[in-house]
Amino acid sequence: MTVIKYIRRVSADLATHIYDVPPRMLASLILILMAATPFIGILELRRLDILTHINLVAILAVSWDLLVGRTGQISLGHALFYGIGAYTTAILYQYFAWPVWITVPISAIAGFCIAILIGIPCLRFKGPYLALITMAFPLAIVGFLYYYRDIFGGETGIPRPLPGLPRIFDKLLPSQRIIANYYFSLALLTISSVIIYKIATSKTGIVFVSILDDELGSKACGINTSKYKLLSFAISGLFGSLAGAVMAHTIQTNANPRYFFEKTALIPTEYSIVPIIAAILGGLGTIYGPIIGVYIYYLLNNYIFEYLIPVDKPIKIAIFVSIIIILIIKWPRGIARTIVEKLEDLEEPREVEEILKERMRKNKPEV
Amino acid sequence: MHLLEVQNLTKRFGGLVAVNSVSFHVDEGEVVGIIGPNGAGKTTLFNLITGYLKPDSGRVLLRGEDITGLPPYKIANKGLVRTFQIVRPFKHLPTIANVLVALQSYRGKRRIEWIKTPERKAMEMLEDVGLSDMAMEPAENLSHGDLKRLEIARAMALEPEIILLDEPFGGLNPIETEYMVKSLQRIHLDGHTMVIVEHKLHALMRLVKRVLVMHNGEIIAKGTPEEIAKNKKVIEVYLGKAI
Repeated sequence: MTVIKYIRRVSADLATHIYDVPPRMLASLILILMAATPFIGILELRRLDILTHINLVAILAVSWDLLVGRTGQISLGHALFYGIGAYTTAILYQYFAWPVWITVPISAIAGFCIAILIGIPCLRFKGPYLALITMAFPLAIVGFLYYYRDIFGGETGIPRPLPGLPRIFDKLLPSQRIIANYYFSLALLTISSVIIYKIATSKTGIVFVSILDDELGSKACGINTSKYKLLSFAISGLFGSLAGAVMAHTIQTNANPRYFFEKTALIPTEYSIVPIIAAILGGLGTIYGPIIGVYIYYLLNNYIFEYLIPVDKPIKIAIFVSIIIILIIKWPRGIARTIVEKLEDLEEPREVEEILKERMRKNKPEV
Repeated sequence: MHLLEVQNLTKRFGGLVAVNSVSFHVDEGEVVGIIGPNGAGKTTLFNLITGYLKPDSGRVLLRGEDITGLPPYKIANKGLVRTFQIVRPFKHLPTIANVLVALQSYRGKRRIEWIKTPERKAMEMLEDVGLSDMAMEPAENLSHGDLKRLEIARAMALEPEIILLDEPFGGLNPIETEYMVKSLQRIHLDGHTMVIVEHKLHALMRLVKRVLVMHNGEIIAKGTPEEIAKNKKVIEVYLGKAI
């Protein structure tokens, strides 16, 4: 009887408390707010691209958080996956003229495979060594892209028989496309982060955290840690590349190769750094934290100090950096995590019985 | 056939011979103690047996199967499980999830059944060592004594054929030591085989029938606790030579 009693407590707590579940009310409120953004006039419609960009970078940050915050394998070169995604989809389109809806999933799978290839040698290293190696990869690949300029086009972009990269919603008018892009990115962010969140709180996710806490101890528990580290890296690569590929087809400023491959760096270092800042801002290892972090980062950087209160660039950088530093010092455990912990007390806990029944239904033993 | 057989195991660190041609065997249902002063090579021996270090020479046989040099997780899944001298909890996870990690690679016969309700199994494991009240506490909030017991629960969750305990009483107060002795006795009565490295001889002697004494990487004496207590060489190693 006592066993049953404890299991009730366990199931209840596993479901609500321990793994930092964001309060459902809050999550749905934010989602509704985000869904309503184009219509309530917070932003000018033509600035909606900023939010699309934020949503896609947030996917990158969330996938980074699974790898670093939950598995403890430090990666300083997550832009690599962005690059893999963007280039795979661009090449498949330019040379084979495949439709977007095929190239984007293929890019994500390419990210998964390349993450495994890179992970096998790299994940043998730990801590700062791993960080250095992962940092080197995007830089090395940029060199590779320059060298094979016949294929990748170097800094002038892929030599194209076809005009530019296609947009995801090609048949719509430009003004409609901006809104469609925004909703598409929002849906993608929601789905990806829910999937990553489910992985992080599953049995596999528990093993990830055990590797973060103590790899030797995890081995002693009979866990093939290399396999799980690789899995985490690959899942991270999958979603990172997905974000990269979609970015290449949606954001006009730097996705269209006409601009993207010429004006900015081929694989911007920004995409390595922003996930780190975002995760620390929002709460490392929370999965939902980095989303908030990315929003704070880009709204400050690309919107508030750019359009709302336009200031000179040096001053902008000074103000922006100080705000970020103050936020991190003030909430070292992450803004989102702190808020969620405060709100958890307010939200009514779910009935233990109800959760138990739900779990029992799921875990029906075989007869 | 012996359950665990160690043949001429040797490990050198540079010029230092940490473990020098050590051979011993453990039979099913036995409890064997390994004692020795600090730096005798006991933990190195454990690391060699469980795959954390590769031996320079020698073999380790589990039920006659050569497991020398296999990676630690494979050895653990074959049923040779260890605990650590310094506790290694997964501090971000609740206590029960610490055990769930071990159940993830659960290798027992009732795998199918437990894989469906791993929490139930984990809870039983925790009840065995008296930690069920702390099941939902993050492991970082547990006291040292609780963590030591959690290590035992985690090891037992793998349903080991033989369990290697590295200083299970290290850092425990007398009451906790007493509790641990009781727990280990119960595990032994359930028919589990154990090898225990320990400094607290008083507690150890209540558990074991056979003791090996290590010094400078070699086994210098074998026998029952009474024999060991009278052995001149052992007394010399621990207390120094009479002048």
